[in-house]
Amino acid sequence: MSIQNLNTRDPFADAIKGNDDDIQDGLVHIRIQQRNGRKTLTTVQGLSAEYDLKKIVRSCKKEFACNGTVIEHPEYGEVLQLQGDQRENICQWLTKVGLAKPDQLKVHGF
Amino acid sequence: MDAEDGFDPTLLKKKKKKKTTFDLDAALGLEDDTKKEDPQDEASAEGGAAAEEDNLDLESFGKKKKKKKKPFNMDEIEAAIPSFGGDDVAASEEPEEEEINLDMDFSMAKKKKKSKKKELDELFADQADDDKSEDKENDEDNSSTWFGSDRDYTYDELLKRVFEIILDKNPDMAAGRKPKFVMRPPQVLRVGTKKTSFANFMDIAKTLHRLPKHLLDFLLAELGTSGSMDGNQQLIIKGRFQPKQIENVLRRYIKEYVTCHTCRSPETILQKDTRLFFLQCESCGSRCSVASIKSGFQAVTGKRAAIRAKTT
Ligand SMILES: [Zn+2]
Repeated sequence: MSIQNLNTRDPFADAIKGNDDDIQDGLVHIRIQQRNGRKTLTTVQGLSAEYDLKKIVRSCKKEFACNGTVIEHPEYGEVLQLQGDQRENICQWLTKVGLAKPDQLKVHGF
Repeated sequence: MDAEDGFDPTLLKKKKKKKTTFDLDAALGLEDDTKKEDPQDEASAEGGAAAEEDNLDLESFGKKKKKKKKPFNMDEIEAAIPSFGGDDVAASEEPEEEEINLDMDFSMAKKKKKSKKKELDELFADQADDDKSEDKENDEDNSSTWFGSDRDYTYDELLKRVFEIILDKNPDMAAGRKPKFVMRPPQVLRVGTKKTSFANFMDIAKTLHRLPKHLLDFLLAELGTSGSMDGNQQLIIKGRFQPKQIENVLRRYIKEYVTCHTCRSPETILQKDTRLFFLQCESCGSRCSVASIKSGFQAVTGKRAAIRAKTT
C-alpha cells in the first residue's frame, strides 16, 4: 500500500497566478551566512520579480538600520542581501507590508 | 538539553524527560501528542483504588489534568458531595467549574471530620459516605458506567472507551505507546577560531538511519557554509556554531527527513526515486516526497580578490 501525501500546495498555482491579491506564491527563502568574526549576512531569495527589489531594499535598509543590496543571480533571480542577522526583521516586515504570507517564508540556518 | 538516550519506558520518566532531553516530540513541537496519550495512560493505570491513588499523584506532575477528571461527572459528584476523600491532589489541580465543586467537597469533608469528632453517628455517616464515594469512583473507572442508565455519556467516557477497545484488540500497543526515540545531543566544539567540529556526527546519522552524506548536505546547506569529514570521522564545519544552533538544524532535519509526515513515526526509509527523495513509513505505509536539499543562493563572503585571482 502506498499513499502519496496530498500536498497542500496547489501544483498549478503558478499557472493561475495573479488572480486576486498581489501576494506572491512560492517560497521565500531567508538564509543566514557567517562572515568573518561575529558578522553575518542575511539573504532573501524567491521574492517575485514583479516587485521592485531596489525599492524593497531601500526601505529595509532604513527600517533595520543595516546596509543591503540587490544581487542579480542567473539561477535564482534577484536576491536581497542584508548585513547582519535580519531574519526576524525581514520575516516580520514582509508579512507586515503584505509581500508574503507567514507560511511562505522559509527561514534557514541555525 | 541533557545527554540521555534510550527509550523511556515509564510514565513518570517520560514527563521528566520531556523537559531535559532532545526528544523527538519536543523537536516537532507536538502538543497534541500528550493529549492523545492521555486516555491510554488512563486505561493502563486503571485497576483498583490503590492504583488509582498513585495515578492521581502522578497526574499532578504533568500538565494534563483536564482529561483525567472527566470520568467523575457532575451528577455523581454532587451525589457524593459531603465527602470525597483521597482526591485532594486531583481536586486542587483541576481546572474549570469542577474545581470549585471538588474543592468544596474536600474541605467540607475535612472540617466535618475534625470538628465533629465527638458525634460518633456523624463520623460513621461520614465514613459510610466515604466508602460509598470510593465505590463510585471505582465504578466509574469501568468504562461502561452509563450502560443501563439513561444519562448522557460524556465525550471523555466515549474516548476512554474507544481507547480501551483499541488496547484490547492490539495488546502490543499497551506496552509502550509508541517508541519515542531520544537522541544524543550533538557534540559541538570549536576548532581554532573559524571552524567547528561536530564530533558525533556519524553517531547521529546512524541513530537517525540516514546516510551521513545526506545529513551532511542538509547541515551545510542550512548553515550556508562548507565542511567535510576529517580523519576521526568527525565533521569539521567552517564557521562558529553553538551546539544549540546545530541542534536546531538537526531538529529541522528530523522533522523533514526522518519522521513520517503522516503519523510521525521515526521508522521510515528515505529512498531516492527519479531525482526525488521519498520518505517511506514503516509504521503506516505512507509514502511522500520530501523537499530536495538545496543550498540556494550563496552570497560571496570570502575574499573577493582571492576569488578573482582563482578564476582569471
Ligand atoms: Zn507513518
